[in-house]
Amino acid sequence: MRAARTVLLEALVVAVTGLALALAANALSPRGLRLARNYFPVLPAVDGPATVGQTAAISNSPPTDPSQAAALRLQQRGFAIANGNEVFELFKDPRYEQGLIVFVDARDDDHFSAGHIPGAWQFNHYRPENYLPAILPACLNAMKVVVYCTGGQCEDSEFAAVALRDAGIPRENLVVYLGGITEWTTQGRSVETGARGSGQMLTPAAKP
Amino acid sequence: MSATSSGETTAQTRGVDYAAALARWLVGALFIYMGLHKALHPVEFLKLVRQYDLPLHHVALNFVAATLPWFEIFCGLLLVCGIAVRGAALLLVAVLVPFTTAVLMRALAMQKAGGLPFCAIKFDCGCGAGEVLICRKLAENCLLIITATWLTFLRGGIFCLRPELLKKSPGDKLS
Repeated sequence: MRAARTVLLEALVVAVTGLALALAANALSPRGLRLARNYFPVLPAVDGPATVGQTAAISNSPPTDPSQAAALRLQQRGFAIANGNEVFELFKDPRYEQGLIVFVDARDDDHFSAGHIPGAWQFNHYRPENYLPAILPACLNAMKVVVYCTGGQCEDSEFAAVALRDAGIPRENLVVYLGGITEWTTQGRSVETGARGSGQMLTPAAKP
Repeated sequence: MSATSSGETTAQTRGVDYAAALARWLVGALFIYMGLHKALHPVEFLKLVRQYDLPLHHVALNFVAATLPWFEIFCGLLLVCGIAVRGAALLLVAVLVPFTTAVLMRALAMQKAGGLPFCAIKFDCGCGAGEVLICRKLAENCLLIITATWLTFLRGGIFCLRPELLKKSPGDKLS
């Protein structure tokens, strides 16, 4: 009995010390999380139809496919969604060169460097303070801001769109590209590797 | 006869001591490795924890994702160094049991939704090893739980810096 109490007491000492050290390590780590921040913000649903160019077929029954669920959620929150062809049209639009259409990649540094839509800005919404000062002027100046991430079950484009809206970008200017970089590369479209504007282009083979 | 019996007992005790030391190092090293992987990618770990749909406020979710990896590293280091072995092992059991239950529940939910055979279910459970076959993961976790539970019942041991943290002096034995 006494031995059990001793083990429990030892475990308590280890737990308290471990938690204190864990909190300190998280605070000191440059990659540490901010405990109070809501990394997965949810916007309340808005009344009325969703705004622009959505092409996903959405039924009234609850969707089982993650991209359909995401499309429905985005529409309920008033964000426009776009498919690969619509996004490619925006990419080829002369306004893209003029900075009136902006692409925003919501993935982390490693994925962004591995390949992003040419000319896209990076906005990792988990570290907004590192990216907002650079991208906010470009987004405020744009008529359309296309946000994307990996595609599929990736929700980062959705959270990034919410963060950009909170930062002052009008909701009607934001378009979420649900197919993301996976769809872009699957369709054989070029990506830029390294930093934005590096000019290092890579053309993946199109997949059926 | 008595000397032989005593010799056998000593050999058995030594065998248990070596086995316990090996178990500590293996379990400790595994937790350090898994913990480091998560601590270096806390956002990825946070996303994976969120996928369990735990009824937690976002602050609690952040707290789990921010502290658990470092906590695992800390407990792993204690086991490797042989400090507070039983306390650290008990805490690892306390972490592993609810986590394994959560993995099992999620796998069952996925099986129900997708109609896949249970052992064909594969996902990144947030363990630090990427996407894994869930049957294998559950077996591994059960083995870890058994080993860590065994360590909580052992006293002393070899290659330990301070196996019993609260023991005041070498002569002051716990009972």
